[in-house]
Amino acid sequence: MTGALFAQSLVLGVLLGGLYALLAAGLTLYFGVMRVVMIAHSAFLILAAYLAWYFHETSGLDPLLSLVITVPLFFVVGYGMQRFLVSRLRPISLTTMSVLLTFAIALTIEGLLGFVWTGTQRRVQLGYSGTSIEVAGVSIAVVKLIAFALAAISLGALFVILRKTSFGRALRATTQHPEAARLVGIDTDRVAGLGFGLGLATAAIGGTALALDYTIYPSLHWHWIGPLMAIIVVGGLGSIPGAAIAALLLGVAASLLQVPLGTTWAQTVFYLALFVTLMIRPQGFFGGRLAQRF
Amino acid sequence: MASEPTPELSPEPSAAEGPAAEPLLRLTNIQAGYGRAALVLRGLSVTVAPSSVVCLVGPNGAGKSTVLKVASGMLKPRSGQVMVDGEDVTGRTPQQLLASGLSHVPQGHSVFPEMTVAENVLLGAYTVRDRSLIAERTEFVTTLFPLVGERWSALAGALSGGQQKQVEFARSLMVRPKVVLLDEPSMGLDPKATAIVFEQVQRMRDAGTAVLLVEQNARRALEAADVGCVLDLGKVHITGPAPDLLADPRLAQLYLGGRPKEVP
Repeated sequence: MTGALFAQSLVLGVLLGGLYALLAAGLTLYFGVMRVVMIAHSAFLILAAYLAWYFHETSGLDPLLSLVITVPLFFVVGYGMQRFLVSRLRPISLTTMSVLLTFAIALTIEGLLGFVWTGTQRRVQLGYSGTSIEVAGVSIAVVKLIAFALAAISLGALFVILRKTSFGRALRATTQHPEAARLVGIDTDRVAGLGFGLGLATAAIGGTALALDYTIYPSLHWHWIGPLMAIIVVGGLGSIPGAAIAALLLGVAASLLQVPLGTTWAQTVFYLALFVTLMIRPQGFFGGRLAQRF
Repeated sequence: MASEPTPELSPEPSAAEGPAAEPLLRLTNIQAGYGRAALVLRGLSVTVAPSSVVCLVGPNGAGKSTVLKVASGMLKPRSGQVMVDGEDVTGRTPQQLLASGLSHVPQGHSVFPEMTVAENVLLGAYTVRDRSLIAERTEFVTTLFPLVGERWSALAGALSGGQQKQVEFARSLMVRPKVVLLDEPSMGLDPKATAIVFEQVQRMRDAGTAVLLVEQNARRALEAADVGCVLDLGKVHITGPAPDLLADPRLAQLYLGGRPKEVP
């Protein structure tokens, strides 16, 4: 591999890893606050991408503006989903049953997308779609940069919410010790609902970023959920910094391996990392003590 | 939080006078259980007087922890009454009971491990909005538990078991409760840490907070308590001054494991 190709792959890997990081943060949040395995996370991601595409098609405006609608919408849907569906599962079998429940939701979303917009592949065409900028011999597509910036800003915002606000402290407390959280007066049901809303909001942002740069079709979410699940296990279930670090590392690894191995085989790096993690450090590599409790 | 009493920062030496007449916490004829399973508590009654440490002892499955869960609102009783300082609080949620003056430290480790000691303690005041009140109480708990102040910025999960208990105690006092409910505070601790924990239970009492304590380690707990209650099959069988219970030969045989303590 030449130096220029290496640098190019590295930059692309970081840009992709940023998007993975945002999505994995949402996924690990659900698990943290509710011990829920949210298979439908990537289906909502694709749904948001479709909404961004449709918004652009009908209004002619920049798809990024659809965030104004999709972020609050997904937040409310996430809150409702937790309060009216997930919270009805029996606590004793919550984690396993949540797989079935969210699997069904993923299938429903996929079916609805196909029903409304057919299985045809869709792509947003923008004035700046083909534009790229050159930095030190590395060419970077503007849409990828925008996607990365969106992901970085959202992750930063998520970090500030969790670290600096009273709600964030309540959410982390609920994740770390639900019973003690209730005993200091935190309404853990409400916090879990809001946490779910926050997680789904990351899918709205991620989906819009995705729509800028990818050709989308209803079943695309299956392509995303595997790597995302692998990332949150490697990072340590429930740990948002862990998810972000693992996402960046694995995103870069997948991007670098694409050159010698091709796209399909490069994708296996996620599963390889998953197997290695489960074999030698099942609680994850970057924090996250939750897995030890299972 | 306007109705809260002003926090007393100086220790109240009233413990010497013994338990006062009007109890701060009164459970009357409580029946409670989990789901559709059989009752755990069958007509239990217990009272906690101001500035006293009341200790519930008894065999496994006697319902000791369940008493605390009913008192703090984690479990709704099927019948019976919970009174705090003369007010009927039966059936209220843990959040409402915090405001009424009850604070519950659960069994085992209950710090938020990946947060700092500071965040843990301040979360104890989650329901308190008045910043000056929070500052005042922070001062109070760090004076009562100096270790908490020393390890203020450390991750709570990195502390030893005994140190974590102190953080939990400090956290529970941030609402300035009338009564603190302690569920097996010595569980999993070595003898030295256990001694410190019981010494601190007495310090909490001396600082004006009554304590309802549940313990597996009956002998050690009764030594730290003012009043002892022996629980069996969901009822209080014997209540009396803790030193008397320790000296009672029948109790020693049944519950305290071995011969009675020599009374000088």
